[in-house]
Amino acid sequence: MFSHDPWVWIAAIMTLAIFSFLYKENWFYRIAEHLFVGMSAGYAMARAWNNALVPNLFNPLFADFGRNWPLLIPALIGLLYIFRFVPKFSHLILIPIAVGLGLGSGLSIAPTIQTDIIKQMQSAIADASNVSAGGWGLAWGILSFIGVLTTLSYFFFSREHKGALKVSASIGIWFLMVGFGASFGNTVMGRVSLLIGRVQFLLTDWIHVIR
Amino acid sequence: MKFFEKLSQIDRRWIFLLVALAVIVPLLSRMGLPDKPGKYSLQLFEAVERIQPNSQPVLISADYSPSMMPELDPMFRAMVRHCLARKVRLIVMTLDPTGAGLAEDALRQIAPEYGAAYGRDYVFLGYKVGAAIVIMSIGENIRQAYPTDAYGTPIDSLPMMADVRNYADIPLVVDIAGSAVINSWVIFAGARYKARVGAGCTAVSSADYYPFLQSGQMVGLLNGMKGASDYEYLNQQRGYTSVPRVAGKGMDAVSIVHLLIMGFIVLGNIGYFVAKKNAQPK
Repeated sequence: MFSHDPWVWIAAIMTLAIFSFLYKENWFYRIAEHLFVGMSAGYAMARAWNNALVPNLFNPLFADFGRNWPLLIPALIGLLYIFRFVPKFSHLILIPIAVGLGLGSGLSIAPTIQTDIIKQMQSAIADASNVSAGGWGLAWGILSFIGVLTTLSYFFFSREHKGALKVSASIGIWFLMVGFGASFGNTVMGRVSLLIGRVQFLLTDWIHVIR
Repeated sequence: MKFFEKLSQIDRRWIFLLVALAVIVPLLSRMGLPDKPGKYSLQLFEAVERIQPNSQPVLISADYSPSMMPELDPMFRAMVRHCLARKVRLIVMTLDPTGAGLAEDALRQIAPEYGAAYGRDYVFLGYKVGAAIVIMSIGENIRQAYPTDAYGTPIDSLPMMADVRNYADIPLVVDIAGSAVINSWVIFAGARYKARVGAGCTAVSSADYYPFLQSGQMVGLLNGMKGASDYEYLNQQRGYTSVPRVAGKGMDAVSIVHLLIMGFIVLGNIGYFVAKKNAQPK
């Protein structure tokens, strides 16, 4: 009835060890937790070495140093992170952080404005004025448009929420609540799915109750 | 009234036990609750259906780790089955270091089901570090990001990659991810390089991506285990596979646990209002 694969047994025992926390904190759980953290860190380091440093830095440098020597510049900037462990020079880690932030911001600000603001505004306006959608299509478009405006008004803090702004902001809160509710529902489904995945593993691969 | 007061003091372990039963019993009993694919799952499925067999390839990025497997692995497998069954060529890559093993394992299992040949019907490019940079590099020339596949074979020596240069030669990009990397695909591949982007995500993160669907920046979305189950259902309905559904089996349990949690929420709220009323001075 039970699996004969030792790896399945290890995975099953680790799963049960983690679930034992639901009853109460215990050493069985702590062993599994520490194993997981240690293995994840080790795996991440090995992956970073093999998939990032070796192919992107060491191989090009050893293959053709004359052409690829500029790679040493980002490598040296990255190495400054090590100074996090030297209190006297810990301020030097600000350099790689600044480079990373600058690069990330420079790459993403313009396209993010396009995808998250301009396209969304276009869509909200287009849906609310799309008479050809007719009936429910138009109604949902108008409702979405009202939702966008009232929710934005809730986050308008330059004026006291009184009068029309208060009414609009109050309606905006309702739209926000609907959004939070939808997020919560999805979160429940996500967490339950993870539990189902583990239970399926135990019942299918370990105990062989489900085929 | 005492009932609700007692209920509010119940040991949470009883709730854990009820949730465990609500998962185990439907899995063992196979209730077979009705299945109806969602609109956005269907849109993604139809986007793949519209691609001509043996023509330009679909790019799937398997950006998930073992902790997200119950939701995302069935999605990935269902999409791979769909593409290979229709002879739609497939490029698989990953931006998650742990995703490489999972994607490779799935390809090894599924390719023989359809007699798919490596290099002709599908290629596996493996993991590459630097999500946004990789996505943009593919927009210029896929050979910049991946000069070789995951096994060190030069891309140019793989027959199906001969005419693939960038997103202009890839009619659909699908990111299956449990992280915010989907945003990067929409922002860089979609907005910057005009690629058609679809996605599969964990249910927890799905609310972040619905605005992209409404604004037409995504062609479809598979939402958590439900999305995976939808895709498996559509594959079976169209006769692309007869392999038992993995996510589909879990959907009964999802439905029962949701009902249970809704019951808890209703009882909790009634209990809260009763306690509040009782606390008021008479």
